[in-house]
Amino acid sequence: MNPFTLFIIGILQAILLLLLAPLYSGFARVMRAKMHSRTGPPLMQNYRDIRKLMTRQEVVSEQAGWIFRVTPYVNLACMFLAAMVIPALTTASPLEAAGDLILIVYLFALPRFFLAVAGLESGSSLAGIGARRELLVSALAEPILLLVIFVMALLTKTTNLGRISTEVATGAFPFSLAFVLGLAAFAFAAYIEMGKLPFDLGEAEQELQEGPLAEYSGRSLAILKWSVYLKQLVLVALFMALFIPFGAMTELSIVGFILALIVFPLKAALWYFIAAIFENAMARTRFMNAPAVVWMALGMALLSFVFYLANV
Amino acid sequence: MTSIQFFVLALTLYLVGALASLFASPRTSRGVAAFFGLIGSLSALLAVVFALTEGTPPSLTLFAIQPFGEFTFQMDWLSTLMVALIALVGAATSLYSFSDAPANVSVSFFTDLFMASMLVVVTVTNAFYFLVFWEVMTLASYFLVVWEFDKKESARTGFIYFLVAHIGAALIMVTFFLFFGKAGTFDFAGIRAASIPSAVKDIVFVLAFLGFGAKAGMVPLHFWTPDTYAAAPSHVSALMASVMKKTAVYGILRVCVDLLGGSALWWGFTVLTFGALSTVFGAFYALSEKDIKRLLALSSVENVGIILMGVGLGMIGLALSFPTLAALGFLAALYHMLNHAFFKGLLFLGAGSVIDKTGTRDLNLMGGLSRRMPWTALTFLVGALAVTAIPPLNGFVSEWFTYQALLNAAGSDLFALRVFAPLFAVSLALAGAFAVMVYVKAYGGAFAGPARSEKARFAKDPSAASVVSLVYLALGTIVLGLGAPWIAPRIAAVAAGFAKQPLIAVSAGWTMLPGSPLVSVVSTPLVAILLIGLLIVPVVVVAAYGGWRASRRSNVEPWSNGYGYAAVMSVRASSFDQPVKVSFRPLYWVRTLVERPYRAAANFYNAAVESVRRAEPVVENAVTRPTLKLVETAGQWIQTLQMGDIRLYCLYIIITLAILLVVLFGGSGS
Repeated sequence: MNPFTLFIIGILQAILLLLLAPLYSGFARVMRAKMHSRTGPPLMQNYRDIRKLMTRQEVVSEQAGWIFRVTPYVNLACMFLAAMVIPALTTASPLEAAGDLILIVYLFALPRFFLAVAGLESGSSLAGIGARRELLVSALAEPILLLVIFVMALLTKTTNLGRISTEVATGAFPFSLAFVLGLAAFAFAAYIEMGKLPFDLGEAEQELQEGPLAEYSGRSLAILKWSVYLKQLVLVALFMALFIPFGAMTELSIVGFILALIVFPLKAALWYFIAAIFENAMARTRFMNAPAVVWMALGMALLSFVFYLANV
Repeated sequence: MTSIQFFVLALTLYLVGALASLFASPRTSRGVAAFFGLIGSLSALLAVVFALTEGTPPSLTLFAIQPFGEFTFQMDWLSTLMVALIALVGAATSLYSFSDAPANVSVSFFTDLFMASMLVVVTVTNAFYFLVFWEVMTLASYFLVVWEFDKKESARTGFIYFLVAHIGAALIMVTFFLFFGKAGTFDFAGIRAASIPSAVKDIVFVLAFLGFGAKAGMVPLHFWTPDTYAAAPSHVSALMASVMKKTAVYGILRVCVDLLGGSALWWGFTVLTFGALSTVFGAFYALSEKDIKRLLALSSVENVGIILMGVGLGMIGLALSFPTLAALGFLAALYHMLNHAFFKGLLFLGAGSVIDKTGTRDLNLMGGLSRRMPWTALTFLVGALAVTAIPPLNGFVSEWFTYQALLNAAGSDLFALRVFAPLFAVSLALAGAFAVMVYVKAYGGAFAGPARSEKARFAKDPSAASVVSLVYLALGTIVLGLGAPWIAPRIAAVAAGFAKQPLIAVSAGWTMLPGSPLVSVVSTPLVAILLIGLLIVPVVVVAAYGGWRASRRSNVEPWSNGYGYAAVMSVRASSFDQPVKVSFRPLYWVRTLVERPYRAAANFYNAAVESVRRAEPVVENAVTRPTLKLVETAGQWIQTLQMGDIRLYCLYIIITLAILLVVLFGGSGS
């Protein structure tokens, strides 16, 4: 495919994900309310919240330095970049030179670093505690992500996300138990990274008042919330690209493009639907119990690796 | 001038600086040492530049003493890289020490001597002189560590460093004597040419790996590093962590790969395993530190682990005749060596200026420095982002190559590698995630939040020279990251050259790649441009909502559930890692296990001091006291002779005369 066309598709795709992200989070909220037998907020509530916050006065803690101020912008820029390079509408990465899996995993550390430092900068104890929890949860999820990525890379002999995606989509890739278990483990890790219950430890609304977000207000909060929504959708896109790239374009065509435009949002909706069922079936656990659950996911990833070794 | 002349000039300048500082007042000596250190480093850098243009490796023989052999410097590609590393970091630490090193003649003298000895160590081509200058390097750094010798803590730390360094040196010495026994010469060329039985080779590998590994600070021989780096002045800590550790890695490469000519499979496995262990444990232990220098020292243990992983993978590649793996492994190791020199030098110097201004190494007593010390904060942040391998900075580049080497190893036919390489990759990922926590803690503790001590409230940036050195190192970090597509092939050439392997493609245009573009391509400059360019997205989004018109207030206290805010409510550095300490308790239990030799050595030191203290009275009772008593009694005896009576004195004179007469006449009469 022509790299320039791909690049344009990448930008379009990132804008699409950016615009859709609050909708999916709204969808998750609606689902949650339905399962609680509540009326719940309207589907579009997140957009209204963002619009409202944008024009509100921003109140910044006097302790906060420049990192606190730039963090929302860095976060959104970083997530936008991830949304640009992960293949969602196409199976090739829209930007091959930034479409490396290891790069993408490490790129997620940048917003995390800034958000954690911002939490400490605000001087608020809630934000500080949220920051340290967020980092611990990521530290638990990251080895799982990487092990699965390694298994996929070994199966396909490449670490480029676009190439893996193409191989899986075109069926050049042998289906195996390792693949299925890798899928499960990766889904688990992505679920953890998305901060869904019981892993909403960093931004625990009930106890930490949204953790690192606690001190944000006005347009900074709006941008930060939006980047959190986008991060969730980007993780979904990453999962889809690795394991379920069906419906994305392998060759450029108008029909394919329209098809991809329809199929990807549906796949994402399915993910959010299943995630909502899991989320609402689970209770919040004590923070210190979270690692125990994560070991299970690591176990699945290891099992996937063992199956890869045994060639099953 | 030729490269070797510049090299000798650099050595001369370091030595002149060292000697001149001996004859100056403490304050002047600091300036003298810094000045000669700086121009010496620049001269060494010129030597590197010229060496790159000259075809054959430049060399120079100064003298020869039998039976030890010739004292020759040679700048082959590996040595040239090491000289570049010393010069690049040495320039920064010298610049920093103009005004922010301790004004102390001994520190000035030994700093320049330290740099000179390291230059010799990495270029000399004879095992005997290597050992001599290795010892000079160790002693110089020992005296730098104990510069505050009147502090009990500092003397004890110095003793342990001395002990460990010499046990390591002894192992290296045995290595070289084994070589001498088999090859009959100390010359590296002769050793290379000699045929050494494989059993001896195995012994040599174990001895050299442990000896150099102790100096490099790999787990479990790392226990001396935190205290040692904390005790040394900051510019010396920077030199020790960034450069001296690398001379140890150089030693491993030179002896275990170059001199032994290739590698056995289990050597590579050993190095790789120790590297992976260092990576994980270094990151874990760094997280539990609240002393900023100890934290940085333990993070160096992690980074040495990453370097050793690369070295181990390279050695496995050699043993399996798998050129791509060998090239990628050594490339990752050498690249990370250079990267770590830059960002760890930067972090230690930044920490040094923070310690200087706040008067403490305790992260809990800092806080809020980003507004008081903006330059230090900004450069420290760059270093922290680089060391946590966040793209597009340089730490990511070398870790990416390490991952690619691991992937190659995992794809090989050897079952053990297929099992362990992915697990080592997981350990690297785990260490990476923990490194993020470590550096959020370090940066957050020192620079973010409210000031938690009186001194932290009035701190300010260090002098202009030090700021320049910090900015220079930060820029170097950025260049090594963004310039990776252009720098990686050069380092790959060094790696291929000394491992005698065919060159592989590691870059194409703006991208870097692991041997083949089919595996992957990554462009760090592109990522950097996009990250900066995409900042426009949130700006446009806010503008679309008319959000820029909204006002901003920034004089409020942080939310504290309706109570009045106090600085103690902020999360302190030492509580930051609490969830990790609880979740990973077994690993911290391992720490106590690993640090047992450290405590044994410390106890031994205390016992030695105690026994000296006890020996003193023993000597006194047995020798000093009786002698004194004897003198005293004799004095009293003599006193009885002197009664002060004039008649008695007359009697003495008469007796004396009588005796004299008897002696004289008795003698002549016979």
